[in-house]
Amino acid sequence: MRGRVPRIGHSCILPGAAMFNYNFRWNQALNSLPQMLEGALVTMEIAILSMAIGIAVAILLTLFRLSGNRLLGAISATWVEIARNTPALFQIYMVHFGLGGFGVHLSPYLSLLIGIAFNNAGYLAENFRGALKAIPETQTRAARSLGMSPLQAFKNVVMPQMLRISFLPMTNQMVWAILMTSLGAVVAMNTDLYGVTSELNARTFRTFELFALAAVIFYVITKVITLSAGLLAARLFRY
Amino acid sequence: MKTTLFTAGVLAAAALALPAQADKLDDIIASGTLRCAVVLDFPPMGSRDANNTPIGFDVDYCNDLATALGVTAEIVETTFPERIPALMSGSVDIAVASTSDTLERAKTVGFSIPYYAFENAVVAREGIEMATWEDMKGKVVGATAGTYEAIWLEGKVKEWGEGEFRPYQNQADVFLALSQGQLDATVATVEVSEANVKSGNFPGIKIVDKAPMVPDYVALITLREEYGLINYMNLFINQQVRTGRYAELYKKWVGEGAPADLTVQGVYR
Repeated sequence: MRGRVPRIGHSCILPGAAMFNYNFRWNQALNSLPQMLEGALVTMEIAILSMAIGIAVAILLTLFRLSGNRLLGAISATWVEIARNTPALFQIYMVHFGLGGFGVHLSPYLSLLIGIAFNNAGYLAENFRGALKAIPETQTRAARSLGMSPLQAFKNVVMPQMLRISFLPMTNQMVWAILMTSLGAVVAMNTDLYGVTSELNARTFRTFELFALAAVIFYVITKVITLSAGLLAARLFRY
Repeated sequence: MKTTLFTAGVLAAAALALPAQADKLDDIIASGTLRCAVVLDFPPMGSRDANNTPIGFDVDYCNDLATALGVTAEIVETTFPERIPALMSGSVDIAVASTSDTLERAKTVGFSIPYYAFENAVVAREGIEMATWEDMKGKVVGATAGTYEAIWLEGKVKEWGEGEFRPYQNQADVFLALSQGQLDATVATVEVSEANVKSGNFPGIKIVDKAPMVPDYVALITLREEYGLINYMNLFINQQVRTGRYAELYKKWVGEGAPADLTVQGVYR
């Protein structure tokens, strides 16, 4: 606001009544709340699915790494490197337009889901690797000496502990997955919370109410998910 | 009595010393800079040349307005959805960004009289059978998020109850998706469509038909309460047409032919 004379008559005293040159009109934004909540459901759906796929793939990547096979190890390392060292925005964009260049056409929904799942898998595989370091190797040997195959030893002895140790980083990734759904805009996703909000914004120009509302909904979703993850953990990881 | 007189005198002096309330028009002239929000991935209205300098119809309109005001123009690049936050937060004074003057939006921002009007065209990928705009029914269609044509097209898809609508973030992504075959068709301004078909950047696309919507009148925008500035912008637009500058810039950026009529028959503004 270079060289501006502060103006009298534009009250900024009442919170929420007026911000810079903008008068809040909440009723109009609240009218679109049902649409936004529908979007929130889609956002949660994508986050949960991407997390389920991410965990499954991350376990596979961890097995690849443990297998001792050079090729499988290289696949795992490449995946983790790309997922962790490039922007999620780029990953999602590449799923849609990168594959699109080769004639593989994925809908915005699938592009976003696969993009986030790819990112999740990379990060989670690293979390699992860290967790594995905390599990003494003697446990695997003990399991093997009881006659379990390597896979059985991993599945019955190591993996449950690995998931327990990496549970907190996993909830972090879950929150990150929820927030990443907003990147779907670059692949024309318009049914998730961010997509619905920005379309309402284009139509009405009520930018600040709509995005404030979206922020609150995002906050509530992440809280609900982290809290229920805590409850789930208490049930799953009982001794 | 004496104190009352004295107080009255002080108050009167203070009142005289206070500057008259300055509005945005005063602010712009005083600061010597007119900051315009312009969308620069929307040729021929706004784009960048080989040296990355902003060019286009909207850029020239901002420069002309700045010249008229006797200030220098500053082009601030924005996307379509960012126009309003840029205005409201005071990071730009006006937006010269092909903003359609809908009644819904006029509840929030102040519109000038229209400075341009777009016709829209239906563009399809070459592999698809499409004779008229109505053949878009049931297809995967898309447009640039937040534009007039996107709002229209999404409404049509909802009305048809079949097919799919996809709003991409910018014009380039829409045409990339169309060229890749991810979209069957799009609706874009005739200007943009012709420029993109001609450029060869997006192979395998063709213009099919005109989109049957009311011409998309676009206006300059600023804050709703800045009547002084809105009045000035109105007169500026009138003068651009009157002096032939409008036709000149149309020829420079769009091509031969007459620019769109900015008046509506049978009604006052």
